[in-house]
Amino acid sequence: MSELIIPRPLPNWVSELNKPPAVRTKNAGIVDPPGYPSSQVVSSGSKKRDAAKDTKAAQPRKAPTGEEMDKLKLKKAWEVALGPIKGLPMTAIMMYMSGNSLQIFSIMMVFMAFKNPIIGILATNQAFERFETETNRDKIFQVKAAYVLMQLVALGLGIWKVNSMGLFPTTRSDWLAWELQREPLEFAVPAL
Amino acid sequence: MLPPQLSALLLLALSPAVGAVFQDEVGHLDYHYELLGLPQRETTFFHRPRRDDKASLLYTLTDIGVLGAVNPGNGAVVWRQLLNDTSTTQSAGGLGLLRAGEGENWIASALGKSVHAWDAVSGRNKFWLDFPSEVKDLEIMELTEENRRKDVLVLFDDDKVPVLRRLSGNDGSVVWEFRDTTRDTALQVSTNVERVFVISLRGTPAAYNLKVTVIDTLTGRRMDELVIGTKTDVHSANHVMFVGANSAAPIVAWTDAALTTLRVNVLGTKTRQEFPLAPGTVAVEIHAPRLIQSDPHFLVHSRTATGNRADVYHVDLKTNAITKAYELPLLPGPGAFSTSSSGANVYFTRITGEELTLQASTSHGILGRWPIKAGESTPLHPVHAVAEVIKKAGSTDSYAVRAAAVTDADDWVLIRNGETAWSRPEGMTGAVAAAFAEIPESEDLARTLELEAHSNPLEAYMHRVRRHIRDLQHMPAWLNGIPSRLMSSILGTEIAAKDGQPARDSFGFHKLVILATARGRLYGLDIGNHGRVLWSKRVVDIPKGQKWDVKGMHVDESRGQVTVRGAAGEHVVVKTDTGDIISKTPPGSTPPVQGAALVDSLAGQWLLPIGLNGHIDDLPAHSAPKQVVVVRGGPDEGVELKGVAFPANGQSSSSALTTWTFSLPKGQRTVSIATRPTHDVVASIGRVLGDRRVKYKYLNPNTLVLAAADDAASTLTVYLLDAVSGQILSSTTHEGVDTGKPVECAMAENWFLCTFFGQYTLRENPTQSLRGYQVVVSDLYETEEPNDRGPLGDAANFSSVDPIRSPTGVALPSVVSQAYVLAAPISALQVTQTRQGISARQVLAYLPEAHGIVGIPRILLDPRRPVGRDPTAAEIEEGLIKYSPVIEMDPKFVITHERDVLGVKKIITAPSIVESTSLVFAYGIDVFGTRVAPSMLFDILGKGFNKVALIGTVLAIMAGVVALSPMVRKKQIDMRWKAPM
Repeated sequence: MSELIIPRPLPNWVSELNKPPAVRTKNAGIVDPPGYPSSQVVSSGSKKRDAAKDTKAAQPRKAPTGEEMDKLKLKKAWEVALGPIKGLPMTAIMMYMSGNSLQIFSIMMVFMAFKNPIIGILATNQAFERFETETNRDKIFQVKAAYVLMQLVALGLGIWKVNSMGLFPTTRSDWLAWELQREPLEFAVPAL
Repeated sequence: MLPPQLSALLLLALSPAVGAVFQDEVGHLDYHYELLGLPQRETTFFHRPRRDDKASLLYTLTDIGVLGAVNPGNGAVVWRQLLNDTSTTQSAGGLGLLRAGEGENWIASALGKSVHAWDAVSGRNKFWLDFPSEVKDLEIMELTEENRRKDVLVLFDDDKVPVLRRLSGNDGSVVWEFRDTTRDTALQVSTNVERVFVISLRGTPAAYNLKVTVIDTLTGRRMDELVIGTKTDVHSANHVMFVGANSAAPIVAWTDAALTTLRVNVLGTKTRQEFPLAPGTVAVEIHAPRLIQSDPHFLVHSRTATGNRADVYHVDLKTNAITKAYELPLLPGPGAFSTSSSGANVYFTRITGEELTLQASTSHGILGRWPIKAGESTPLHPVHAVAEVIKKAGSTDSYAVRAAAVTDADDWVLIRNGETAWSRPEGMTGAVAAAFAEIPESEDLARTLELEAHSNPLEAYMHRVRRHIRDLQHMPAWLNGIPSRLMSSILGTEIAAKDGQPARDSFGFHKLVILATARGRLYGLDIGNHGRVLWSKRVVDIPKGQKWDVKGMHVDESRGQVTVRGAAGEHVVVKTDTGDIISKTPPGSTPPVQGAALVDSLAGQWLLPIGLNGHIDDLPAHSAPKQVVVVRGGPDEGVELKGVAFPANGQSSSSALTTWTFSLPKGQRTVSIATRPTHDVVASIGRVLGDRRVKYKYLNPNTLVLAAADDAASTLTVYLLDAVSGQILSSTTHEGVDTGKPVECAMAENWFLCTFFGQYTLRENPTQSLRGYQVVVSDLYETEEPNDRGPLGDAANFSSVDPIRSPTGVALPSVVSQAYVLAAPISALQVTQTRQGISARQVLAYLPEAHGIVGIPRILLDPRRPVGRDPTAAEIEEGLIKYSPVIEMDPKFVITHERDVLGVKKIITAPSIVESTSLVFAYGIDVFGTRVAPSMLFDILGKGFNKVALIGTVLAIMAGVVALSPMVRKKQIDMRWKAPM
């Protein structure tokens, strides 16, 4: 608590603490400015390069007309709509192979078989947002309906699996625990 | 269809989940009293089994017909043989005979109509001979013409004609036979060096005379016949007290009816000498040495009401005159005398409650005196004893004495120089009834809990909070106990109960067993502490030769009392934890009873006595049973059952009303009755089939199984009765049954089983038949069809006396039965009980030939096992295995494992707090208890669980974390401080 305070030069670590070195960003979405040393490192990813190539290649092409655009979008939308069913045969084989016993593998598979279709159905509009225009709304609706149907088929596969695992309370034995023993009105004691 | 290898694998996987008893659990979860029965005075002795070895064993043939050898050093049983198959039936008079020849390595015994010889060291049978007539006496003939062979003299009573046979000691072949010409009552045989004497009673029961037939030892011819007048003192064989053994001058002695004079005759003479007995004598016993080279001295032990005294007499070998040598003074309290001889010297050992004294037969000088230091708090009350005297080498008059005494507490105690070396609770043999009881909690707590239950919720809550605050005073003690509890939990040792008192445990394994024996005693065993005897009390005086017939035993857990009812109308109430008698009525004060039933009444549960022929007196309305009482009735007991109800009539007393009667067809008699246990919880009301359908069980608590044998037709009919209405629900007749062999039934849940010996003609091939012990198991279901609850449907209640009208009138169960052949006979059937009935069941049974208790899993006894084909996938899923006709007694099923458990009459089971485990207690001759887990121990950690490894791992991880955390922290800080490059 002395009156005299001798100002000392700040230690090195304080200045470094106050002015920390730039954090190396891990977010790949932000493109580094040209000439930034790290951009070369980041762009070494092949995807980025491909994307850059694509954009470079697309630049000289002339823009498609609106009709072509709709057609393309519809085609793309159908591909998305039929996506869920394409993986189904594989899923079905895996489900069949994994057996009907309760183990971590089959439980996870069943969980995914339910989660994916339901999330897909809930996110139907988001899935087709980018393909939807003012002009192709009717056609896109059909596509959406097909998409929901496909998701339901996938869900059906999950239900089939759960049923074959015996997890549905559809048999008499599943409700046995709730059935009560019949109580007699009279009792007897033996004295034999 | 599955390939055969796969189905075989599946079968293996489904094999019943019953493990054998693990080796480290032996003695931990089971306990066993290896008992012999109460030794008898005449058939207990020390004997050296090897001629050149000084070590001797203690041999006895007990009152329940067990022959055994006991190591006198530690009281352990060396070997035992059960001579009497019908144990606990004490055949009056013929209590068995046991003799050993001096220096011989075998001993001879006789019981009933058979004579046996046994190897004295190993207990192996030398010979076993069955004769057509009753054995009356057995003696060893010390000297025979063949060197070093001793023979056995056996006296028979062959239809009132005395027959004496001399059997070769080597193989039991008959050397000669002497048959008396007149019809006399054979009494005893005795021998001195050159002659054999047969003593028989001649005349009429009013005035018997003693007839002594003198027989030549070599040829078995009659040499002489003497008749000694008894002056009408002898009215039956029991009145002749003693016929003296192999001493140089054997005697015969008797007294007059008033016990004032003792009359003695030296065998081979006609003279009778009389000696006065002390006034007030109530019993007289004569002790004499059995060795031929011993001095002919004998001791007369007279008991008075308060004490006992003795007189020693000498026989002059030349003149055959008997003179009184000295007397031992009257000492108060019970006492016993014993004779031991070494060479010519004869010693008398006197045991009283206070001391052990040793005297030579020649003089009254006391050779040794040892005060008795009783090991237990109860004073020693010897009834009779045998003693062994060893003269210490080197010194002239220094002796060592060990005496095995039977006390009036029915214990067998060995006193070595005044100290109790061991004590065997032989009184626990001949047990007739037993019941489990909870260890009573302190009465205060029970009362407080009752108080809380009856007050209003708020008050009760306040009371409870206050009680818990008060309980905090026990907290320091509880905290102090944590380290020891933890250590014992880790090391697997049991914590010693505080101040020796039994305490409940969290698993419910610590209980009491109250055991009633045929000798009128009750025992309290602490089964949480390896069956330690907590207390034992004589509650009823049973005359010798009779047995206590206990008809009912009921434990009142809330009061901590047990009520025992006997056949003669006696009843006794004792505390379960101390054995203190609360109330007691002697036999005969109330009418005799044929049974007792635990009934519910307005006044609570009580044990209702049933009079003869099923008669029940009028009862006050508050104690009238609410249930129908099923009794055996009719003039001819055993052919009729009846249901007795006490309808409420609004009056102060209620009288019995017979609601139904069930009479067996002519020629049939009841051989076994089984009912469902009182604790028979059913976890699932149906049985789930492989295809997830349900077969509903027929669960009627009011059912009983009655097995009736027809001796003329050799059939066994098993009836399933409804005990409320008397309706026959099902009946089966088995042909070719040996009705002379025991038939036993057991019942639990929705199934019952009966075991019998029968000859079964094969259906496929009538020329072939199958003979053996069989068990027939029957399952009861509501209907034959799955998913069908039967005609009653989903009704919540049913009444046996108000059956449905359609379609059949009475809801009859559908019965599925299957018969199995057993690899060994079984008896004492019992079914395990668990708390909630979730665990599988085991049928516990005693193996009378293998001396063990077997636990047969119910899955093996399932009547639905597929016959003649492999089970389908659905059946495998249901747990059914292919039918095989024979049930092998797999050694893994034997819950007594290596123990030799003798003469089990009954097995009782009780649930514990953990669902997996059932407590088992078996009694009869031996007492055995254990715990069984029919579906394995799924809810507690076994002894194999390595707690040390678990705790060690946790500690190691903790140490690792503690050691690594500064390093990790340092590394993280260093990373932060590193300049960005």
